[in-house]
Amino acid sequence: MEVARVRALRGPNLWSRRTAIEAIVHCNEEERDLSRMPGFIKHLRAIYPQLQVLPVPDGGVPRSAAHVIEIATLSLQAQAGCPVSFSRCGQTPEAGVFQVVVEYSEESVGRAALDIAQRLVQATLDDAPFNVESEVARLREMDEDERLGPSTGSIVNAALERGIPYRRLTSGSLVQFGWGSRQRRIQAAEIDRTSAIAQSIAQDKQLTKQLLKAAGVPVPDGREVKSIEEGWAAACALGLPVVVKPKDGNHGRGVTVNIETKPHLEAAYRAAMEAGTQVIVERYIPGHDYRFLVVGDKLIAAARRDPPFVIGNGIHTVTELVEEVNRDPRRGEGHATSLTKISFDEIAFTCLELQGLDPSSIPAKGLRVVLRNNANLSTGGTATDVTDEVHPDLAARVVAAAQMVGLDICGVDVVCQTVLKALEEQNGGIVEVNAAPGLRMHLSPSYGTGRKVGEAIIAEMFGTGTDARIPVIAVTGTNGKTTTVRLTAHILKQAGLRVGMTLTDGVFVQGTQIDSGDCSGPRSARSVLMHPDVDAAVLETARGGILREGLAFDRCQVAVVTNIGAGDHLGLNYITTVEDLAVLKRVIVQNVAATGYAVLNADDPIAARCGAACPGGVIYFSRNPANPISVTHRAQGRRVVVVDGDAISCVEGDELCRLPLADIPLTFGGRIGFQVENALAAVAAAWGAGVDWTHIRAGLATFLPSVAATPGRFNVMDYRGATVIADYGHNPDAMVALVQAVTAMPAKRRMVVISAAGDRRDEDIRDQTRILGNAFDSVILYQDACQRGRADGEVLALLRDGLSNATRTCEVSEITGEFVAIDNALARLAAGDLCLILIDQVEEALAYLTERCREANSAAVA
Amino acid sequence: MNQYDIRILDLIFLRGPNRWSYRPALEALVDIGALEESPSNTLPGFVARLVEWLPGLRKHECSYEEPGGFVRRLEEGTWVGHILEHVTLELQTQAGRPAGFGRARSTATTGVYHVVVRTTQEDLTRTCLLKARELILAAIEGKAFDVGTALRELRVLADRKGFGPSTACIVDAAVNAKIPVVPLSQGNLVILGHGTRQRRIWTAETDRTSAIAESIASDKDLAKQLIAPCGIPVPEGHLVRHADAAVEAAEDIGYPVAVKPGEASRGEAVFLDLRDGEAVRVAFAAAREVDSTVIVEKYIEGDEHRLLVVGDKVVAATRAEPFRVTGNGRDTLHHLLSVALNEIAQAAAPSAVPLTIEDFEDFPTVRLALARLNLTFDAVPAAGVKVELPRHAKIGVDVLEQVHPSIAAQATLAARVVGLDIAGVDIVARDISQPLATQGGALIEINAGPALPTHLPRGAHGSHHAGEAIVRHLFPGDDHGRIPLIGISGSGDTTAVARMVGFLLHLHGVAVGVACGNGLYLGERRVDHNDSANWAAGQRLLVNRTLNAAVIETTAESLLREGLPYDRCQVGLVTSLAADENLARFGVQDPEQLTKLLRTQVDVVLPQGIAVLNADDAGVLALAEHSDGEVLIYSRDAQSPAVLEALAKGRRAVYRDEDELVFAHGTEAERLPLPPTFDAPACLPAAACAWAANVPVGLIVSGIVGFPAATTVTDEAILPNN
Repeated sequence: MEVARVRALRGPNLWSRRTAIEAIVHCNEEERDLSRMPGFIKHLRAIYPQLQVLPVPDGGVPRSAAHVIEIATLSLQAQAGCPVSFSRCGQTPEAGVFQVVVEYSEESVGRAALDIAQRLVQATLDDAPFNVESEVARLREMDEDERLGPSTGSIVNAALERGIPYRRLTSGSLVQFGWGSRQRRIQAAEIDRTSAIAQSIAQDKQLTKQLLKAAGVPVPDGREVKSIEEGWAAACALGLPVVVKPKDGNHGRGVTVNIETKPHLEAAYRAAMEAGTQVIVERYIPGHDYRFLVVGDKLIAAARRDPPFVIGNGIHTVTELVEEVNRDPRRGEGHATSLTKISFDEIAFTCLELQGLDPSSIPAKGLRVVLRNNANLSTGGTATDVTDEVHPDLAARVVAAAQMVGLDICGVDVVCQTVLKALEEQNGGIVEVNAAPGLRMHLSPSYGTGRKVGEAIIAEMFGTGTDARIPVIAVTGTNGKTTTVRLTAHILKQAGLRVGMTLTDGVFVQGTQIDSGDCSGPRSARSVLMHPDVDAAVLETARGGILREGLAFDRCQVAVVTNIGAGDHLGLNYITTVEDLAVLKRVIVQNVAATGYAVLNADDPIAARCGAACPGGVIYFSRNPANPISVTHRAQGRRVVVVDGDAISCVEGDELCRLPLADIPLTFGGRIGFQVENALAAVAAAWGAGVDWTHIRAGLATFLPSVAATPGRFNVMDYRGATVIADYGHNPDAMVALVQAVTAMPAKRRMVVISAAGDRRDEDIRDQTRILGNAFDSVILYQDACQRGRADGEVLALLRDGLSNATRTCEVSEITGEFVAIDNALARLAAGDLCLILIDQVEEALAYLTERCREANSAAVA
Repeated sequence: MNQYDIRILDLIFLRGPNRWSYRPALEALVDIGALEESPSNTLPGFVARLVEWLPGLRKHECSYEEPGGFVRRLEEGTWVGHILEHVTLELQTQAGRPAGFGRARSTATTGVYHVVVRTTQEDLTRTCLLKARELILAAIEGKAFDVGTALRELRVLADRKGFGPSTACIVDAAVNAKIPVVPLSQGNLVILGHGTRQRRIWTAETDRTSAIAESIASDKDLAKQLIAPCGIPVPEGHLVRHADAAVEAAEDIGYPVAVKPGEASRGEAVFLDLRDGEAVRVAFAAAREVDSTVIVEKYIEGDEHRLLVVGDKVVAATRAEPFRVTGNGRDTLHHLLSVALNEIAQAAAPSAVPLTIEDFEDFPTVRLALARLNLTFDAVPAAGVKVELPRHAKIGVDVLEQVHPSIAAQATLAARVVGLDIAGVDIVARDISQPLATQGGALIEINAGPALPTHLPRGAHGSHHAGEAIVRHLFPGDDHGRIPLIGISGSGDTTAVARMVGFLLHLHGVAVGVACGNGLYLGERRVDHNDSANWAAGQRLLVNRTLNAAVIETTAESLLREGLPYDRCQVGLVTSLAADENLARFGVQDPEQLTKLLRTQVDVVLPQGIAVLNADDAGVLALAEHSDGEVLIYSRDAQSPAVLEALAKGRRAVYRDEDELVFAHGTEAERLPLPPTFDAPACLPAAACAWAANVPVGLIVSGIVGFPAATTVTDEAILPNN
């Protein structure tokens, strides 16, 4: 058994909408049917009894070792606490080769689980021992490290609830919500508008107090002191009892309250100096500690925080009582649970000492023994939700405090007797204001109701009604993707949107190229969705990326399938038939938003069938007014975009918009069939994205076919009176379309220059020339350096082969080198001739051709 | 016992506009004793010593309005109070905090003077004044005085307590833009503007500088990961934790490489152009001291540039220059560098804090460079030997005009990607006027809270330009950060008027605060019961972010002791002028002096503001000429000549006409039935003030009726005076 290749599918993919690990597993003859290995199952049960290997139904596919890897990878994750449920194991066309797909919630945990599963199967095969328990423990620990903490998690969940997409930017708590220009960020309980200055103010307790006082918020008087003597003088001046705390501390470290004597103050001063660099003495306000959470200008939650304590029973020592309390299973370690174990440490001992106790004392029955003078959950305190009891004046003061400091998410610490009364009525006060407050005590308080904090924060960031998405239009298909993307982007631009687009030849934002090379994969799509200046995205979504990594988005507004035709790139990655390819390209259709549209070519039966999988609406487009699919769709009152006479007509129910082909220069007045098809797709896509007709019309009218606007897509040039057409077409469907298009153009003699990429099936290469052979008088075959794995001359031979039954071609020549071939062709052209040049090195060849034509024509003028 | 003494009887820090100046000032009451009989020209050697110690005095113009004017006065004979003023001013200037204005005035008592010096930093001015006294006495007596030590001490004080250079240039720009500045006594926070219109700065951070963006910027690797996908070239790099990993990364990337700490900025431990493993190890060790993670990245050849992005614009750009000195065989490297630095500092804007060599000494890159050259700061380079220290951001050349638009666009985009409203973007390029892509240049890092370029020569796009840009970013268009501010002064009824105006504004739906003798009010809530007709209470209102308007009463005594708590106001009211014996101890005795004092309230009225004056008090009415804005008068007498004249000139007036209250504007008038409670003396000025503050007249009249009942405070608030 061998795991040959592992991929992480980080977005919706061929198998599901969830993130998943995909592995190719090779099994030998024996491993393909476990029923033939009785020892295997038995041993597996022994080392991993929780694993349920389901019996095979009669006549079903026998269970293989690959199936065990599948269910073990899933089960291990589930046992480690990951919320996963989807898995599958499929036989590939190759015997003994399986595709195993298992959902993950954290990529590294999923990969680790797969690795463990693989070792588990190997151990079972080798009859070796294997400790599943410890592996699960390790996995659990890894998951806890990786997954979002409860505070951030609550905000992310609230976002998901509203359909807001998110993406983690680091392994920590930095998360981005939304796309493009609508993106926002959080980091734990901090949002991107949280002001750094406000945080600095909150850090400076004296400055905070000065500002709060200015805002009429009651605060305990206090002052900074530089020595114990000064501290005692201040305490006497302020009036005993007092609180001593570090100026720049946090988590309640170094804070001592209710100080009435000088020795107590001395100890407190030293404790404060250990936790900070400067010490503050302030008036002690008796009462409970409350934490108020303010989001924006609203009070969202309030909790009373009680310090950890035990109650004496006259029998047990303090140590024993603490141990008893800590045995409560709800009390965990650290920050993850609603209760934490009581810390029984130096601070607790000092606190006991002040009550005349030590750890071995046996407190009297009913005596409440406090173990700390602060109520932080992390040291064993408890939180009780009191949100519904807060007096409106008290709430107003707390909100005023947050606003005065300038914090949009703010934890306000209040000391008072009760929240039922205003602070002024009970001499209470605000003692501290905290940036990036912990949310745990409000999300899952020890006692009382949890509050919808995440929802409040998301509402503060996004207001109501928006899902922070920008319109995303995904385009796939065998031919016409690039032109459809460019034209759609151009139309969106007319609507005032700043458009980002990905293409097979680069990433463009507002017309500026920001990346080059093949950018039709998810990485490039993500870079557009992350770009702060993008209002709408048009993404060419090629098959490779979907297979490799899944989609870069959870859903799109519009998914366009231009055509599937006879397919392209067949034979790679277990995609062997046109139907397989349709299933793959259908992935974008399956992930259209409920309010969105799939734009499908009704003239391409396989593409048209994708409609059934679309959760949103479907817009069919067709060059044939009588196409039964679009006719039916239209009759059902749904949207169609069809050629009707000399115009494109867009219909939904009774609504009709006509766009004359004469006003769409890309189509050469409707003569170039495949460009008409691209225009139909782009019109439908823009319609699906909600662009109004004025802008669609303007976009169509101003999109001029040229080397600049549509490089390598039917670029028509004039060379001494001959028509030269450069195109990047490289599959049989493209040849059919090109032949159709050039046949519509008048010419004396027709010539074509063609090569082919080596990574296509033999028949696909042959087919290309077979098609051309019936339309061109003269064919120049060329090969260049890049043969993509083929031997020298192999591609040329196939191309020649395709011409063997040509009905029109009477002249064939073979040339090495793309530019030599171009020169050769140009040299043979006479005025009135037509030459189709199928270029390979697009940018260079176009530049070369443009230059040659310019030279020739300026020479002619001269 | 010395023959002469200068006794300082009282020192008053006037925090706001006052009887001497519109700006904060220190006022000293000085008794020059026997020196009253001895003007400067009669004191042998005094003038010469003084000018020798403080040659800067030669520039003082004094009453002759040309440099040398003051020295001429000294030679002709002037009194010690006047000299104390000039010497204090000169000491402040030498300490790096020039203040400009000073004044010395005799009082009713012979030999006792008021010496007033404008101040930007109270403790500095106070120390300067005391030092000036010592220096003058020493110069009179012909004793030694260590001027150098005194100036050093003053500079230390100025550096420690004053604004840092970045903050200072933003504050200066705000002042120039007529935006009020409220420095807080605590911390580095400065509030620009008032109430809800305020914005805050903390060095080069604004209240909109995102904390998350700052943490992204400080994580250099993360920042690069976010910036690169937007098409901005960044050098390939790896984060490493061990020296071996650093070398491995360097080999993977390919030499030459740069090594720097993963966090922290300011170029303290950035090592460039490392060409072998050994160099990488040395640099790694030094960078590791700054942060536990270290970045090894491709070294990009070219000059380092710092682009300052504010909002969506690049507002400053400098090219870092290597720092070169040439030995002369006599002086130490330390001395040579100090001299070179001073040259730079002198070329810079006058407000710039001079650089000291200590700014460079601690940097590992400087240490390492010296070690490589086998030099120390104490070394004496031979004549003609050139010593070059690494490029340093503090020494730069202005290149703002040259920056290629595509680079500027990339710098602002990078700031947007990270989320910073103000950012320092470091770019390495051979030629900043060409696109990065064509020359293999790159964005190296992006910094939050960047230091502003304070050391550029005069005329360059330096700190002044940057400060202005930040202020424009904070206050776009004609926003001056002001809320309607109603200032109330006078000899009578001011507390009740303040309360009533506050109440009327509150009724009008304005979030208003009132600071008056009766306490401090936010809306209807009395948050402080203490007398709040003072500077601190006024400031307390103005920093309150929730207020849309403020009503501030200032007593004559507060005006004398502290000054006004604001620089300008929308509405300035003076009720009446009546002699007050309490003011005698400030030297304010006769009505004329009182008029001079209270005129400050009218002086600070904004050009688009309104002075509200009691037409029934001739002294008050005479203040009208001092208003930069409109004048609105009120009177109990419908036939008052002042009212008739004002209306004839098309101005506004509020007056009582039998049973009616008339709000008149030129020929137009609204007449409303007089409220039954209108006899309280505060009602008429309050009505006039509220009208000036745009409260509708109908609401004013009904508000006056509702005032006693609608408020929870005791009736003392509305009684004539408290």
